[in-house]
Amino acid sequence: MNLDLLIPEYVRNFEAYTPSRPDHLLQEEYGVSHLHRLNNNENTLGPPAAAVRVIADFSPDLAVVYPSGDSYDLREALSRRFDICRDRFLVTNGSCEAITSIIKAFCQQGDNIITADKTFAVYEWVAEFSGVEARLVPLRDYAYDPQGLLDRIDARTKIIFICNPNNPTGSYWTKQVLIDFLEKVGENRLVVVDEAYCEYVEDPEFPDAMELMERFPNVVSFRTFSKMYALAGLRAGYLTGTRDVVDVVRRTSVTYSVNVQAQMAAKAALSDDREHIAATRTMVKQARLFLCKVCTDLGLETVGGEGNYLMIKVPINDLLMYRRLMKRGMMVRSMTGFRFPGWIRVTLREMAVMESFAEALTEEIREIRNVRV
Amino acid sequence: MLSASLFMKCGFAPKVCFTDRSAALEILAREQRAVPKGMGRTMIKQNKQQKNASLRIPLSMPFLPLAVDFAGKGARGFAYTDKESHSLELAVEELFSFYVQKVAADSAVELEVEDQGYRLALSISFQMANPDMRAFNLVWQVNPDSEESLELLGPMIAARSVSSLRLDFGNDDRITLRMTRNRDYPTTQVAALPPPNTQGPVRLVEPSSSDLRHFSAMVSASGAPFIPGFLASPGMAADMLAAGHLNAILALRGDWIIGGVLWRPLTDSCLELYGPYLFNDDPDDVVLTLLLDEAVGRISRSRFRGLVRRQGQLQGYERFFDLLGELDLTGISGAATRSTYYYRQLREEGGGVVYCSGALATFLADQYNRLCLPRQLRENGGEQLRLRDASVLAVELEYPRSLAIIRPLCAGKDMAANLAAHLDLLQNDGINNFMVEINTGRSEDIAFTDALEATGFVPRLLIPDAGLGDLVIYEHRVRKQQS
Repeated sequence: MNLDLLIPEYVRNFEAYTPSRPDHLLQEEYGVSHLHRLNNNENTLGPPAAAVRVIADFSPDLAVVYPSGDSYDLREALSRRFDICRDRFLVTNGSCEAITSIIKAFCQQGDNIITADKTFAVYEWVAEFSGVEARLVPLRDYAYDPQGLLDRIDARTKIIFICNPNNPTGSYWTKQVLIDFLEKVGENRLVVVDEAYCEYVEDPEFPDAMELMERFPNVVSFRTFSKMYALAGLRAGYLTGTRDVVDVVRRTSVTYSVNVQAQMAAKAALSDDREHIAATRTMVKQARLFLCKVCTDLGLETVGGEGNYLMIKVPINDLLMYRRLMKRGMMVRSMTGFRFPGWIRVTLREMAVMESFAEALTEEIREIRNVRV
Repeated sequence: MLSASLFMKCGFAPKVCFTDRSAALEILAREQRAVPKGMGRTMIKQNKQQKNASLRIPLSMPFLPLAVDFAGKGARGFAYTDKESHSLELAVEELFSFYVQKVAADSAVELEVEDQGYRLALSISFQMANPDMRAFNLVWQVNPDSEESLELLGPMIAARSVSSLRLDFGNDDRITLRMTRNRDYPTTQVAALPPPNTQGPVRLVEPSSSDLRHFSAMVSASGAPFIPGFLASPGMAADMLAAGHLNAILALRGDWIIGGVLWRPLTDSCLELYGPYLFNDDPDDVVLTLLLDEAVGRISRSRFRGLVRRQGQLQGYERFFDLLGELDLTGISGAATRSTYYYRQLREEGGGVVYCSGALATFLADQYNRLCLPRQLRENGGEQLRLRDASVLAVELEYPRSLAIIRPLCAGKDMAANLAAHLDLLQNDGINNFMVEINTGRSEDIAFTDALEATGFVPRLLIPDAGLGDLVIYEHRVRKQQS
C-alpha cells in the first residue's frame, strides 16, 4: 500500500507534535525520584474548591451516559456569568479544538491566517495540516506587532490570531491598541483573541474581547479552563462570538467532544472562582518577583509580563539546559520549538517549588561558569 | 532488508573537506517501491515537471547497449555535458554488466534518470532472489596485489565514475542502485568582500540563487578554512538552493552581505550546519548570534531532531551547541586537519534504550552522562545474533581527507576478518584514516562491537539521534598511528 498516494501534500509534509513522555518514564530515564512540572503553565493550586468537590463526588453512573452534546448547562452558566446569550458560546475540548474548528469552518486551500512567529504554535500547526497558509509576523520587542500583521493581510486572509497575553513572552495589547487594530482590519476577516491567560491580568487597560465583539462583530474570543481554573486534565475551553460566527464554527465541531466530568467541573469552577483567582494571582506575583530577582542575581535576562510563566535566557543551548535541569527533577520548557533558541520558559507556581528550582538553576549556572559552588 | 556498499571518489577542490564531491556506494534498508508492470516493454516518458525519464527492459546482456544509451542520452537530454553524461554511461555499463550475471534469466530492470538541477540522479532497480551478500563487500574476491583481481570490481569502477552511488535493499528481493552525477562547476569566482566596519543595522534575508552564488564566491574569497565542496563551487550552491536541497540565511548591512549560515540534511533525522561565515569583525558575536538563532528558529519545527556542525572550533559555542569531540585526520598530502563536532537537539529528548556491552557500553555511559542524555543502557551479555556466515560492510571514501568511513550493513561470523581485510585493501589504496559508524538503533551494527575492538577500533564520538538511534564513530588508532 502506497500511503503517499492517499496523503494530501500538506499533511505529508507536516511533522506531528511529540508530547512529553509520562512522568514515571521520565523519572526513570533521568534517574530522579521526583519531577516538578514547570513546563506546561499549569496552576498547581488546583481547581476552585467547588470544582474539586464535583470531581471528588463524580459518580461512575455518570460515566455510563453520553455527555450533553452541546454542553448545555455549562453554556448556560457562561451566559449568566458574562451576560451573553448561551448560543454565542461553543464549548470545546480545550482551546485546541476551538482553533481547529474555526480554521476548518472558515478557511480553504489558498486562504491564509496571520499570527506571530513566536507564539502558541497550534494556530500555525492547524493551518498547515489543513492546507492553509500560516503567515507569521515577527514579534517586535517581544510583543505582537500590529502594523506587521496589517501589512500581511490580503484578499485571502480569513483569520488573524492574537494571543493576548502572548504565550510565551507575556506581552499584551491594551484595549486601545486592540481597538485601533480592529478598526484598521475592517470587518471582512475574523480576529481571534486567544485569552487563555486573561484571568491572570490585573491591568485595567487589558481588553476584554467579549465586550469588544459588540462593537466589532468579527471578533472571536477563546478562553480555557486549563490555565487559571486548573482543569487541564479534563480539557474544556470555549469560544465566544456573534451568533452567526458561532453557528458556522459549530458545523465543524465534534458533538460530544467535551466529557461529562469536564462540563460539570468547569461549571462549578465558574461559580466559585473569586478567591481562587485572587490566591492564584498572589502566588504568581510572589513567584515572579522571587524568580526575577534570582535571575538578576545570576545575571540572566528574563522576559515576562502577564501569565503564570517567565522566560529566562540561559548561557547554554536551551535543550541542554532542559536535560540538565531534568536530571535535577525540574521540567521546564525549552524554547527552541517556540523559535526562541537559548531560552527556557518556567511556570510560576508555589514558593517551595520555586525555591527548589532557583537552587537547581543557580547550581547549574555556577557549574556552567566554572564557579565553585 | 539490507544494504551494502563500496566506494566513491573525491575530486580535488581547494579547501574542500566534506563529501560533496565524493562518490559513495552505500546499501540501505528501504521499503520496496512499486514495481511497474509491463516487462519487456521499453518506455521513455517525462513526468509533468519534465524532470525525469524511465526505461524498463530485460536485464540481460543484449540490452546492455540500450541501457547505456538511455543513461547517456537521458543525461544529454537534460543538458548535461558529454563528460558528465559519459560518467553515467560508464557507471551503468559496469553495474549492468556486473549484476546481469547474478539474476535469473527472465529478470527485468528499470532505469530512471531525474534532473535535480545541480545533479542528475540515476537509479537501476531489479529483483535478485537470495543474493550472495559477500558480493557487496569491497573486498569480495579481491586480491589487492592482483591487477587481474581488481578488474572484477565493476561496482567500484562505477562508483569512481559518479558523484555518489548507493545500494538499497527493499522487500521482495528488490535491489535499487542509486547514483548521482553532479554537474561540473567552476570552483572560483571573483567576489569583493565588504569593507571593514560597515555601519548600519543588520538584517537577515533568505537568499535568492543569485545571492547565494555571490555569497559562495565571497566565502572562498574570505579564505575561510572550512569550505564544503558545494560552497567552493558557487554555481552548485545556487543550484542546490533552487532544488530545495540547501537552505541559507544571509546577514546584510546596507547593500553588503556581511555573513551567512547554511544547512542541509546529513541524515534523515539530522541536519548539518555550515558556518556562520562572517566577513566583518563581529564584536560581542552580534551577527553570529543573529544568524544562528534565526537558523535554529527556522528549523526548530521541522522533522529533524538534531543539528550537527563539524568544522573548526566555534568560539562561545556553548550558547548554541553541545561539544561532541574532535577528530584529527591526516590528509593525503600528510597535512593534519582537525574537525570539531558540535551538536544541538532541536526538540526535547524522548529517551531510549541501548543494548550493548564492553568498551561501547563504557563509552556510551560516559557520553550519555556528560551530555545528560536519558538513555537506558542494557547489557546485551555479548549475545550474538543468529549470524550469517558473511558480514557486509559499506565503505565511503574521501580521498582529499584520505578517509574511509565504514558502515556495517549486515553482521556475520567473519566480522573481524572482514574488517581486517577492508583495512588492508584500503591502506593499500593509500588511505590514512579509518572510521566506522555504528548506529545504536540497529542490532546488526551493535553486533560488530567485539570485532571492532579486536581489530583496533575505539569509540571516539557520539552523535545523538543521527540515525535510527545515536551514531557512534569509531576511529582506528593503530592504523592511524602507523600512518
